[in-house]
Amino acid sequence: MSEKAMLEIKHYSKAYGKGTKAADDVCLTVESGDIYGFIGHNGAGKSTTIRAVVGVLDFTEGEIFIDGHSVKDEPIECKKITAYIPDNPDLYENLTGIQYLNFVADVFGISAEEREKSIKKYADLFEITNSLGDLISSYSHGMKQKTAIISALIHKPKLLVLDEPFVGLDPKATFTLKELMHEMCQNGTAVFFSTHVLDVAEKLCNKIAIIKQGRIIASGSMKELTEGHSLEEVFLEADNE
Amino acid sequence: MNNSIVLMKALLLSASRVNAYRHTTDAKKRKKITGGIIGTVVIYVMIMAYSVSLCIGFGKYGIIDAAPVMYAIIVSALGFILTLFRTNGYLFNFREYDMLMALPFKSSAVAACKFLYMYIKCLPWYLSISIAMLAGYGYFAKPCFLTYPVWIALSFVLPIIPMLISAFIGFLIARVSAGFRKTNIVQTVLTFIFVIFCFSSRFIIEDLFKNDKIEETLSTISDATSNAANYYLPAGWFAGAIIGQSLTDMLLLLGVSVILFAALFAIVGKSYRNINSALKSHAASKRYRMSGQKKKSVVNAVAFKEFKRMTGSTAYMVNGAMGEILAFLLGVVTLIIGFDKIVATVTNNAPFDPAILQPAIPFIVYFFIGMVATTVCSPSLEGKNYWIMQSLPIEKETIYKGKMLFNMYLTVPFMAFSTVCMCVSAKVSAVNTLLYLILGLALCAFSTSWGCVCGIKHIRLDWENEIEVIKQGAGVMIYLLPNMFANMGVCVLAVFLGTRLDHRITALAFIFIAVILSAISYRRVMKLSKTR
Repeated sequence: MSEKAMLEIKHYSKAYGKGTKAADDVCLTVESGDIYGFIGHNGAGKSTTIRAVVGVLDFTEGEIFIDGHSVKDEPIECKKITAYIPDNPDLYENLTGIQYLNFVADVFGISAEEREKSIKKYADLFEITNSLGDLISSYSHGMKQKTAIISALIHKPKLLVLDEPFVGLDPKATFTLKELMHEMCQNGTAVFFSTHVLDVAEKLCNKIAIIKQGRIIASGSMKELTEGHSLEEVFLEADNE
Repeated sequence: MNNSIVLMKALLLSASRVNAYRHTTDAKKRKKITGGIIGTVVIYVMIMAYSVSLCIGFGKYGIIDAAPVMYAIIVSALGFILTLFRTNGYLFNFREYDMLMALPFKSSAVAACKFLYMYIKCLPWYLSISIAMLAGYGYFAKPCFLTYPVWIALSFVLPIIPMLISAFIGFLIARVSAGFRKTNIVQTVLTFIFVIFCFSSRFIIEDLFKNDKIEETLSTISDATSNAANYYLPAGWFAGAIIGQSLTDMLLLLGVSVILFAALFAIVGKSYRNINSALKSHAASKRYRMSGQKKKSVVNAVAFKEFKRMTGSTAYMVNGAMGEILAFLLGVVTLIIGFDKIVATVTNNAPFDPAILQPAIPFIVYFFIGMVATTVCSPSLEGKNYWIMQSLPIEKETIYKGKMLFNMYLTVPFMAFSTVCMCVSAKVSAVNTLLYLILGLALCAFSTSWGCVCGIKHIRLDWENEIEVIKQGAGVMIYLLPNMFANMGVCVLAVFLGTRLDHRITALAFIFIAVILSAISYRRVMKLSKTR
């Protein structure tokens, strides 16, 4: 049910100092209802692009729009409708899981009843309800990742941005997250995520972009790009060109 | 609820030891938290005792009216210095930057909250001085009742201006550094330059006073403090509000603090993302060619890793290498100006032969060199990377040997340079110079191993911000204060013994003691390393 452009990246470039460009003239559009996979080698520029999308990284060249709002000019409006899950979530270690989730819920002004319902729903799904009273410092990497995912979902974002979301998750949590991504897309949310796991991307995404040395070398719908081939074959072929 | 308040609440809760205590079931962690709280309370009590004794001195000499200005200057200086060393790490370049900035907060609100967080964390330090000095002032000056609430209320405001100035300098340094490819190095160098300027400014100011022949006015502490109040206006406003009950002064202090706060964070907010992007990102040249790889021994490999850890962090570099830089400068300055002249300046031309200070040379150098040992914080700095060393097939002792070796690599050359410069300038004989170098070496070894004992015993891996273990860790406190005070005492003892015994004998005696202490500390490190 692709319709409205939820994320538009237009000619975005990012260079660190006078070094090589980490992202070079990146253009892509994620529409509401899309599950958009962002694929590339390590150091290809995926995280640099994602961090600029969520307003963490400063950039000078190009424009990024979220639901029509410019990330540069209206960062708060953009962040209100976006959720970001980094690859290695640095949460407040000395807060308990529930304290952290309440902090995020407070930031988004979610009512007490609503947050309780959402936190319970997602914590049960990821099976960490019993651990919510423990300090985050006592959590495993996977539990921190699950906490970060719950914190991203409780405000019902229009755009969900994930950087390598499946790293560190157990198989059940991976399955749950994939199901949630599907469910969200059916409700009109756009999902934009980076991954190295091509099998996951192939099964999950309706659109993909392949980035190499900061430049998009292929992008479009999964059907158009693969045309009977596996995503792995398409990726390796594009990579060798 | 306002988002800034929500953020402040979360920041404070995440730093709260009580919160950590309440929600942990780990008995060891609880014990550690309790120990930490007790240690902190002891330090506050010590500060309060010092502040009260200062007021008693003022009261006895009939200059109690100087107490408010003195208090204002002490708190302002403390606020300035504490903020300067923490700006990078608290205000910029903090770990949870990505998580926070992805949430709908304004950049200026994040920066302001981070500043207020820094302020609230330091508040117990300021208030312990404030309450103690108020008690002393109240006892001797017997002011009207209104003085007490005004003093307490203004105590919350007083540190804000120096902290803002310091944060602004930190911001400027970060802003300038952000324009360079090697952001970290430029930031470290600029911070070093500024800190050294601050250290030397005391002498510059004294020189200015002398040139203007105002020296006479500094003959009493009372005059000196009122003079300082003329130069540093917030101190004058505070004194005016307390002694003169001036509403204008009170409003000025409050108003200027608020205006500066609003102005600073309006400016910082504009470049906040840009600065943090530069500080948290690293350029990739992608031009590396494989060639000239060298094999190192395991201990040297660990030491090299420590070196890279240090040079990769501005906060670690500024705190860890400051003593060495100052020792180097001391050596150069002594060589240029002359040992005798420096002694005459420091002692205000006291009538004695500077040669009697020669036995103290190794301890003067050690005062700087031993200021901070990297071994105190390096065990904790492993943080989340702790697993790397622990999972390697090497003895735990080897890891700490490597950490100690790095501290020796760092301290010994600077110690040797500074000692030789001072000995040459003071015309110390070749044999005595050699003995002082050996003593310096033994002191470096002691500082390294004693620092490592403190570092291992008070290892803390779950830090949010590396400043917590570099600057505020329990290990740092336990290492720093006794080491500094003991060194001052030994310095005096060395001079005293030097007037009665041959300098060589005193040097040999001190070498013997330092070697024994180093050996004991080293053995303790080896024992402790097996348990960590």
